[in-house]
Amino acid sequence: MNPRIEEALTTLGDEVLVRKAQEDDDRAFGELVSRYETKVYSLALKMVRNPEDAEDVLQDTFLRAYRGIKSFKGNSTFSTWIYRITANSALMRLRKKQLPTVSIEDADEREAPVSIADWSPGPVDQLLNQELQQVMDEAIEALPAEFRQVFVLRDIEEISNAEVAEILDLSVAAVKSRLHRARLKVRNRLAAYFNENQKQKRAMGAQR
Amino acid sequence: MTCKEVLDALSDYLDADMKEEVVTEMRRHIGVCSDCRAEFDTLSMTIKLYKHESATSMPDGCHDRLVKILEIEKLKLKPGSTKTES
Repeated sequence: MNPRIEEALTTLGDEVLVRKAQEDDDRAFGELVSRYETKVYSLALKMVRNPEDAEDVLQDTFLRAYRGIKSFKGNSTFSTWIYRITANSALMRLRKKQLPTVSIEDADEREAPVSIADWSPGPVDQLLNQELQQVMDEAIEALPAEFRQVFVLRDIEEISNAEVAEILDLSVAAVKSRLHRARLKVRNRLAAYFNENQKQKRAMGAQR
Repeated sequence: MTCKEVLDALSDYLDADMKEEVVTEMRRHIGVCSDCRAEFDTLSMTIKLYKHESATSMPDGCHDRLVKILEIEKLKLKPGSTKTES
């Protein structure tokens, strides 16, 4: 692309690029792709948890955005719109894979274990190791897809409750409810790991 | 507040998404109830651990494959158009 045109496009806001893309300016759409592809890929990867599926979601997202850009009314920001397409595409992929899911409405079991050992005192850097990282990944993988979406958007991507509600077309109250339950499920997985770890350490100490 | 009420409100408390008088009551309860304190500490640490997750970058060739797919789509939707330089 002509470097001058490219430079000019990078200085434009999303709204202007969207308008140009709606007027069939494919270079403007290309700039939106460059601007959001890494974010979309990252969000997709955190939801579907493997690089091949994440790339499929990335491609599907931008294909849908390209086909649908003219129907984008600008009621939300472009980023909210593209995240919504990403979240839907990822959800469809997870459903296709028949991820073990529970009905959200039925999942009102007591989330907290009866007794929780407090493993929290300790800097994050000291706790984080490869083994824990794997447990954290498994904890997300074990979440029903609808809980996983909310957890990834809120606690990993750090998007506000209001925007997550807009992305997922849910009420803020529903986002908060799913988020709380997702957090408890994830925490319980980590708690089981830390409890087991502490038991092993105690057993090793007793043998000495 | 009962322990159940505190546990149900923990996420809002962690997100600083509640009224000041409820915050004060939660803080008081957590200060004296070791079970709820462990619940609070471990939930808070869980969130911190995930916030620590490193940013991801796209694999090699991913951008080029995306551009190619969009080019093919463009030719389908707008048959008369020419290839965009990228």
